Amino acid sequence: MNRLGCLSINHRSAPVEIREKVVLSPQDFRSLCSRGEEVYALTTCNRTEVYWIGIDEHALLKHMASLSGVSGESLRGYCEIYQGQEAIRHLFMVASGLDSLIIGENQILGQVKDAYRQALAAGTTSTFLNKALHRTFRTAKRVRTETSIGRYPVSVASQAVELACHIFGDISAGPVLIIGAGDMAGIAARRLKDRGAGDLCIINRTFSAACDLAAELGGKPRSFSALKQELLRCAIVITSTGSPTPIITRAMMDDVMKQRRNEPMIIIDIAVPRDVEPEAGKCYNCYLYDIDALKTIVDKHISFRQEETDKALAIVSAEVERFARWAGSLDAQATIRDLFFLMDEYIASEMGANSLEPGHAAIVEQKLRSSLKRYLHRVASYLKEHPTLTNIEQTRRIFQLDEDYQDRHKG
Amino acid sequence: MILWAVILFYALTGLFFITYLFWRKRPVVLFARGLFLASIAVHILLTLSLAGPAHRIPLASPVQAVNMMVLLASLVFIFFAFRRQTAVLGAFFLPVAGVALGMIAPRLQANGTTLPVMFQTWYPLHTVSVVAGEALFAVAFVVSVVYLIHEGIIRKGRLHWTAASLPPLRLLDRILSACLGTGFVAITAGMLFGALWASSLGVDLSQILMKIWAGAAMWLVFAFSLHQRFAIRWSGRRTALITIAGFLIMIILFVGVNMAYPGAHGAGLTR
Repeated sequence: MNRLGCLSINHRSAPVEIREKVVLSPQDFRSLCSRGEEVYALTTCNRTEVYWIGIDEHALLKHMASLSGVSGESLRGYCEIYQGQEAIRHLFMVASGLDSLIIGENQILGQVKDAYRQALAAGTTSTFLNKALHRTFRTAKRVRTETSIGRYPVSVASQAVELACHIFGDISAGPVLIIGAGDMAGIAARRLKDRGAGDLCIINRTFSAACDLAAELGGKPRSFSALKQELLRCAIVITSTGSPTPIITRAMMDDVMKQRRNEPMIIIDIAVPRDVEPEAGKCYNCYLYDIDALKTIVDKHISFRQEETDKALAIVSAEVERFARWAGSLDAQATIRDLFFLMDEYIASEMGANSLEPGHAAIVEQKLRSSLKRYLHRVASYLKEHPTLTNIEQTRRIFQLDEDYQDRHKG
Repeated sequence: MILWAVILFYALTGLFFITYLFWRKRPVVLFARGLFLASIAVHILLTLSLAGPAHRIPLASPVQAVNMMVLLASLVFIFFAFRRQTAVLGAFFLPVAGVALGMIAPRLQANGTTLPVMFQTWYPLHTVSVVAGEALFAVAFVVSVVYLIHEGIIRKGRLHWTAASLPPLRLLDRILSACLGTGFVAITAGMLFGALWASSLGVDLSQILMKIWAGAAMWLVFAFSLHQRFAIRWSGRRTALITIAGFLIMIILFVGVNMAYPGAHGAGLTR
C-alpha cells in the first residue's frame, strides 16, 4: 500500500494556465511501465492526476515536465502529493465528486471510468491499480446511492432543466429557446443540450453570434425579430441578454399565452438587469424564475450537499479501510501464513467429521498434515521466489483467501 | 368481516405507496403493486358477496354505490400503479379509499329482497353509468390534489425530494382531462338512463325534484370545467380547482339527497 503514490494538479493547487498545459493520458506513461510498474492518469477540466505503483516520484515528475513543457521545479510547486492510504482516499474522494469544485457533481465518475478504459488499452495498470479502480467505482456508487449528495442541482442551468422536467416530464421532445449568445446563455444552452434538449433555437440581436452558438450546439439561429414567433412555439425559454430594459413584457406574454392557448411555459431569466418583466410571471400557466430566485434555490442545494458530505466521507473512510486490508494481504509472507492456517482449519474439520479411535486419529492427522504440507510447500516456495502482486493475488484467489481471512481466522 | 379485510389491505397498500413517495426503491413499489392487486381481489370478492341471493348488481343503496365507486376508482389507480411515473398516485388515493370504506362499513349490507323496479333494463344502465362517472370524478379529484401540491412546489422552485416522485404537471393534466371527459360522458349517459327509467315507471317527478336539481348542478359544474378547457384552454391549476370544487359539491349533494330521499332507487320509486 505504501508504494502507491498520487500526484494531483487540481483547481485548488494550480491556476488554469498550468492545468491546461498538463493534459496527460495513460498512453504517455507506457514507457515507464516496463517491469511491473503501474500508472493511471486522469485529466479533466479541473484536474490532472497521476497514480502510480513502483515508480520513483522524481522520475515521474521529470517525465511529466517533459510532456507538458512546464519545468519540473514549478510543476512540483503546483502539485499535491499523496502516499499510501491517503492516495487511495484521494482517489475515492475524486471519483465520488467530494473533491470537485461543485461538491457531489457526477460527471467526474464517467471521466474516471473513461481514463481507466484508456489505461487498460494502454496496458499501464495491473493487479493493484485495477483493484483500486474497481473499489473506486464501488465507493462512488455507494456515495451516490447511500447519500443525497447528488440529488439536487447546484447550477442555474441544471436547476432550470430540473424545473422544466417537473413540468413537462421530458425536455427532449419540446423546442427550447435560448435568447442571447453570451457566456451565460452558452453555458445554459450546453447544459440543456447535455440533458437531452433536442431542438434548440438561438435568438440574438447580433445574428452572427447566434449562428456561432447554434453551429456549436447543432441548434437553429433566428433573428431577434422572430422572438414572439418563437415564444409561441417553445415551452422552455432561457434568456440572458445584455439588454438594459426587459425584452419580454407582460403585454407580450399575455398575447403569447393567449395564442398558445395557455399551454404551459417556463421562462428562466438569468440576465442582470432582467430580460423579462416580473409581471409576466403572473400570466396563467407561465412559470417565471429570475436569477435571484434560482440563486436562492441553488444556494440551499449547495448547503444541503455540504450537510451530506459527512455521510459521504464516512463511506469513503470505510472503503479505504477495506482496501487497506486487501492491500495488506498482498504480502507473500502473510499469504503463506494464511495458507498454513487454511491447512490447519481443513485438517481440524476433516478430523472432526470422521470419528476415529484416539490412536488412529493421531496417525491419520500426522499423515494428512505431512502430505498437505508437502504440497503447500511448493506453492510457498514459488511465492517466495516470485513475490509479484499478480502471483500473490492469484494464489489468494485460488485458495479463496479474501482480505478479511486473517481477521476472521484470528477471530 | 371481508369489508374490514379490504380496509386493512387498502391501508397497508397506502402505507407502502406513501413509503415509496419518500423512499424510491424498486422493491417497495413492487410490493405495493402486489398488495394493491390483492386488495382489489378481496374488494371484488366483497362486492360479489353483496349481490345477494338474487345476484343483482350491488348498487341498490347509496352505501353500496360508494363501495362500487371505490372499487371502480381502484381499478383505474391500479393501471397508474403499474406506470413508473404515476405509481405514487396510490399514496394519495388509497387513504381516501380506506376512509370512504371505513365510513360506510357499519351500514354496508348485502342485497335483500329484490324489488320489481330493479328488473327494469334502465336500472343497471343508470346506476352503473352514474357510479362509473362518479368514480372517474373521484380519480380526477385525487389527481387534482396532486397537481396543486406539485405545482405549489414548482412555483416555490425548491424541488423538495418528494417532488421528484410526483408525476410531471403535463402528465397529471392529461390524466385529469381524460378522467373528466370520460366521467362526464358516463354521468350524462347515466342521467339520461335515469330519466328514461323514471319515465318508464311513471314516477311523479315532483317527488324527486331535489334529486334532479342536485344532479343537474353537479353536471353543470363539470360541464363548465370541460367547456373552459376545450373552448379557452383552461388547463392545469384552474381545472384542478374546479374539479376539486365539483367533486366536493358532488359529495355534498350525494349525501344530502340520499338523506332527503332514502331509498329513491328502490322502495321510494315504487311508492
